[in-house]
Amino acid sequence: MPAVGSDVVIAGIGETPVGRLPGWSPVEIQAAAVLAALRDAGFALSDLDGLINLDPYATPNSMFSSTLAEHLGVAPRFACTVDVGGTVTGMTMLQQAVWAIESGYCEVAACVYGENALTGRPVGAQGLHMHNLLGGEEWEEPFGLHGMVIPYALLAQRYLDLYGATDADLAAVALVTRRHALLNDNAQMRKPMTLEDYRASRLISSPLRLLDCSLVSDGGGALVLTRAGRAPQGRGRGVAIRAIGMKTTHNSVALMPDIPGLGMAAAGADAFEAAGMGPEDIQIANLHDAFTISVLVTLEALGFARPGEGGALVRSGAMDLGGRWPLNPHGGLLSQAHIGGMLHITEAVRQLRGEAGRRQVEGARRALVSGNGGIFSVCGAMILEKP
Amino acid sequence: MLDLLATPPNPTGASAPFWDACDRGELLFPKCGRCGRLFYYPRRHCPLCGDTALGWQRMSGRGTVFSHSHVHVAFQGGAWDGQLPYTVVLVDLAEGPRMVSRLIGGDAAAVRSGDAVSVVFPRIGFPRIGERRYPFFERAAAG
Repeated sequence: MPAVGSDVVIAGIGETPVGRLPGWSPVEIQAAAVLAALRDAGFALSDLDGLINLDPYATPNSMFSSTLAEHLGVAPRFACTVDVGGTVTGMTMLQQAVWAIESGYCEVAACVYGENALTGRPVGAQGLHMHNLLGGEEWEEPFGLHGMVIPYALLAQRYLDLYGATDADLAAVALVTRRHALLNDNAQMRKPMTLEDYRASRLISSPLRLLDCSLVSDGGGALVLTRAGRAPQGRGRGVAIRAIGMKTTHNSVALMPDIPGLGMAAAGADAFEAAGMGPEDIQIANLHDAFTISVLVTLEALGFARPGEGGALVRSGAMDLGGRWPLNPHGGLLSQAHIGGMLHITEAVRQLRGEAGRRQVEGARRALVSGNGGIFSVCGAMILEKP
Repeated sequence: MLDLLATPPNPTGASAPFWDACDRGELLFPKCGRCGRLFYYPRRHCPLCGDTALGWQRMSGRGTVFSHSHVHVAFQGGAWDGQLPYTVVLVDLAEGPRMVSRLIGGDAAAVRSGDAVSVVFPRIGFPRIGERRYPFFERAAAG
């Protein structure tokens, strides 16, 4: 995709508390996140004329953009709900908002996702509350392939076989994100994790253990976009979207390209080319981490590590705070919360503004955010830059 | 061995011949009448060239394991508890296409990627639709 190339900026971010939010509904959580982002940007609710959201996975809800608009009390010119999967939807929402603002059809757009995936489902239910259809059921469910852990386990086993990697490579990702979460007051996981803890956690779907898997969370995150000159507090705070790259290659795991051909490589190449940059220009890596394996293949697809060397890179300390490319300083989906990747973006903005407190990455000018939906079915890579 | 549990396939008009063939103990894959390529899963058009003139080819049933996972959690609830752990595999058929399947047999837990496997068609009973046979795999004898 060509460079965004416009003066549209992320002018405000909003996050709710994460973890358990009993008594909160999905629309209430999304509204709270939007209001927080508007306040952060210095806008009034009545300034909002663009609204893009993702409906809750645990309790799917059609027409959720109008549900949210009504609940907020706004009547936007541009509103839509997008769902391209997991943690890449946030990037697609941003892309839609940029295009809507560039076209002149709206001026102030909010992108939001949030739900009560943890407390809003029946006691004892495994996975999602509803049986969300993903399209491949006929060729997966008769064979016992249910949900998203098993496809990622198949990917992880392929990675181990292809490169001779070990569980220490997977564990390194879980350990660094946990170290970072300990510096985030708004994180679900607040206890240190050791390699022994990782190895003692139960197998879910081999080779993936419980501590290879992301969290189930309540919470929400929102972004407010506008033109740089339009933001009340834009000067010095608006974060530029330098490039967004996307690639869709398949839906179900049987049709997933082998690891070197995953769409993340094409998405990353698009983004880096459009921005005229490479991994050497990046100081923060907020990478999709629904499972530990996701980070290893993403690091390699984006050129941060050579094929098969992602685990060694993480174990070297390069992805810890103070290293070359700190990974998910907020703790990510693995140890902060799984809010569909929205908090990967809000964290990148906070870091680039220099407002991340004790987990601030010194001298951070650019962040790379990755996301993917399904089993690397839809891949996205985005480069954000300090004002 | 425990009775196998599985969800019914809910075929479309385009995929019903695949499942009907399984009931006869045959593995049929769709083949494009124009470009001649095999593909999986069945559709009403060839995803490789777009043509709609399709036929079926009987597969050898031999393949190799591309990847595998031993599943320790019943993601669809307690009815599956008795199946645990079970083994899900990605199988590369000798003729080319890759499919998701389940590896059964006493030595499934010892499977390695690259192992030779061959198709078997165990019978699975369903409350309303009766019995169907699914294309599961077993490790080949020499494996």
